[in-house]
Amino acid sequence: MDLHLGNINKLYVDADNVQYYIAPSHTDEVQEISFTFIQTEGKCSASIVVEPMTNSKSKVKINIFAENNAEVDCVCKLYVDVGGSETDVQIRSWPFDSSKIKARPEMRIYNSDVVATHGNALGTLKPQEQYYLATKGIDNYKELIKTSLLHEKL
Amino acid sequence: MLKIENLSASISGKKIIDNINITLNAGECLLITGQNGSGKSTLLHTIMGRPDIEAEGKIRLNDIMLSNLPCHARSREGVFMFHQTPPEITGVNTMTLLNEINKVNDNKYTRGNLISQANDLFLHLGLPTDWSKRQFNVGASGGERKKNELAQIELFDGKLLLLDEPDSGLEQTSRRYIFELIDRTCGRGGIVLLVSHDKDIQSKYSNILELKNGSSLR
Repeated sequence: MDLHLGNINKLYVDADNVQYYIAPSHTDEVQEISFTFIQTEGKCSASIVVEPMTNSKSKVKINIFAENNAEVDCVCKLYVDVGGSETDVQIRSWPFDSSKIKARPEMRIYNSDVVATHGNALGTLKPQEQYYLATKGIDNYKELIKTSLLHEKL
Repeated sequence: MLKIENLSASISGKKIIDNINITLNAGECLLITGQNGSGKSTLLHTIMGRPDIEAEGKIRLNDIMLSNLPCHARSREGVFMFHQTPPEITGVNTMTLLNEINKVNDNKYTRGNLISQANDLFLHLGLPTDWSKRQFNVGASGGERKKNELAQIELFDGKLLLLDEPDSGLEQTSRRYIFELIDRTCGRGGIVLLVSHDKDIQSKYSNILELKNGSSLR
């Protein structure tokens, strides 16, 4: 079973007031559906709905970066139907400064015979990671994460 | 020249390093040995300036008083730390991190040159072909993480290398590569502090510091 967006029945994104939003452009080639939101100010909300076709599996990855006083509210709904084992949604959020991120992965499972997983991690850098970067001369961790998220997608 | 005078270090009030003195000239390598818990790694992290270590004493590299500088500034003065267990950093891909390290090393490489040199090195070290695009050390084995450190040393010639058990957990070819790298660093006038448990390599080095309970035995 191939993992690509050709297996997706419906993909729906509703984003309101999002500043930087990067979504996959070559939908028939990617193995993983990946979204990145970068918000530097103001409030934004995003709703992502992914409905794979029957007997297909999808992996959805969402990165959310917020800084200053930005606020992000993001929900990802992933439908899991017959044969959708190994379907996975992972959200990773980096709230810097006094920003706030509310992120929710939701799985709508319509068959009991599937193994589907989800994850939701929120946080900036651990002291051990900050020290590692400092030993390489890097002290602006926030810019590093932002630059890397932009470079990964562009 | 590296000159360390009366260096002591504590973590959470517990003394780990007690009155260490080291003088090394350009091109010299010091092998640091001792049992587990004797303070070998802490000594290297104290020299690097780890923020949670309370240090006393002076550390001077050439005409720079390192002990007055925070960790990232010591790195920018040419101190390179090879970590025993480098962490995973999610959200940061390997090439972006190398590019940032390149920036703080006065843009030694153009971006195109950096990508090409790094990819050649990763290939030479037996790392996967998409290594530079992967998130930094995420899902990597201990050996792969050490090879990442090796590549950084090769790319950015440090003046002072702090190598914390670089040879453990690596296959023979990579171990050989490490010792070639140490020889080359010393050959160009760099200084190396090497922590190792390997008895076999003790015959290679005449400068040995043996630690016990944070103090020098020899």
